[in-house]
Amino acid sequence: MNSIEEKLWSYIDGSCTAEEQQAIAMLIAQDEAYMRKYHELLKLNEEFTSMELDEPSMAFTYNVLETIRTQHAQQPLKAAINKRIILGIAIFFIVTIASLVMFALSSVNWHTADTSIKIPKQLDITHVTSFFTGPVIRGFLFFDVVMGLFLLDTYLRRKSVLKHE
Amino acid sequence: MQSKLSDIELIEQTLGGNQSAYADLVKRHQRFVFTLAMRFAKGREDAEEIAQDCFIKAYRSLASFQRQSKFSTWLYSIVYTTAMTFLRKKRVDTTSIDGEDVFIQIENKPSAYDENNVESKSRSYYLNQAIGQLLPDDATIITMFYKGEQSLEEIAQVLGIEANTVKVKLFRARQRLKEKLERNLKHEVKELI
Repeated sequence: MNSIEEKLWSYIDGSCTAEEQQAIAMLIAQDEAYMRKYHELLKLNEEFTSMELDEPSMAFTYNVLETIRTQHAQQPLKAAINKRIILGIAIFFIVTIASLVMFALSSVNWHTADTSIKIPKQLDITHVTSFFTGPVIRGFLFFDVVMGLFLLDTYLRRKSVLKHE
Repeated sequence: MQSKLSDIELIEQTLGGNQSAYADLVKRHQRFVFTLAMRFAKGREDAEEIAQDCFIKAYRSLASFQRQSKFSTWLYSIVYTTAMTFLRKKRVDTTSIDGEDVFIQIENKPSAYDENNVESKSRSYYLNQAIGQLLPDDATIITMFYKGEQSLEEIAQVLGIEANTVKVKLFRARQRLKEKLERNLKHEVKELI
């Protein structure tokens, strides 16, 4: 440490070692110049501590949260989708494909006279087609139309919000 | 009324989707963040823009806050980076006749004037005026040390420098502030005579 001031500031801040602290305390007690400077810096330190903080405008918090809300609403759909939904869709497709494969394998007639690899003689999937009856297909198409209209409505709403801004 | 929950508890609630918890966090830190921004911008409008930008950035990266340091330290490092970017954008010319006086605080005056507390108000006025005349780095270190409840190590983390360097910078900043205070007061006394 160099100057008296530097030593005294370290002493006031408590940023020096215990030995240094003790040595400076002794200097303050014994040396008039140190004592005078110490009291001067102590007063200055108190003044710095009583420094006032500036106050932002009354609407500051509201403005911050409003900006966050607006930015959140403008987030692209790709980023806004919950990852759990994606995971759910993935699980649904994996389970569907796996059960379809298992069903297909269990329906295969493996009993052939020949030992060489051949295409299965009979693949019994006739009763699967019974699921795709008229009402099911119509229901599926109706759901698609509703979903399409919903997406179109969301897209137009977002476009209108952007236009107003 | 501000929440009595800790910063970490408020962060947990914010991450859980409770936006009013973040409002409490903003209310708790807004005065200090705004004051720090004022050290760089000087004008209230620019400072408010910087401060708002900081809270929005903090909200966006709240999930990446590691909790190894205090939230305030993490937030102040965002303020420092944002304010430095602002300064670079504005291309503030820091050269003047005596090198530092370009940072004269115009709008940072005490808001209320209490006749019963004239002495303390005028002291605070002169202190604010002197801080406004310091370079942003000096003013930031002094503000963080005295009002931000930040240790030398935490200030070092915010500024991205060594703690010892902060100690030296703080010493020099205090000296410069003391000189400015003395000069301003001397000038004032001369004007009165």
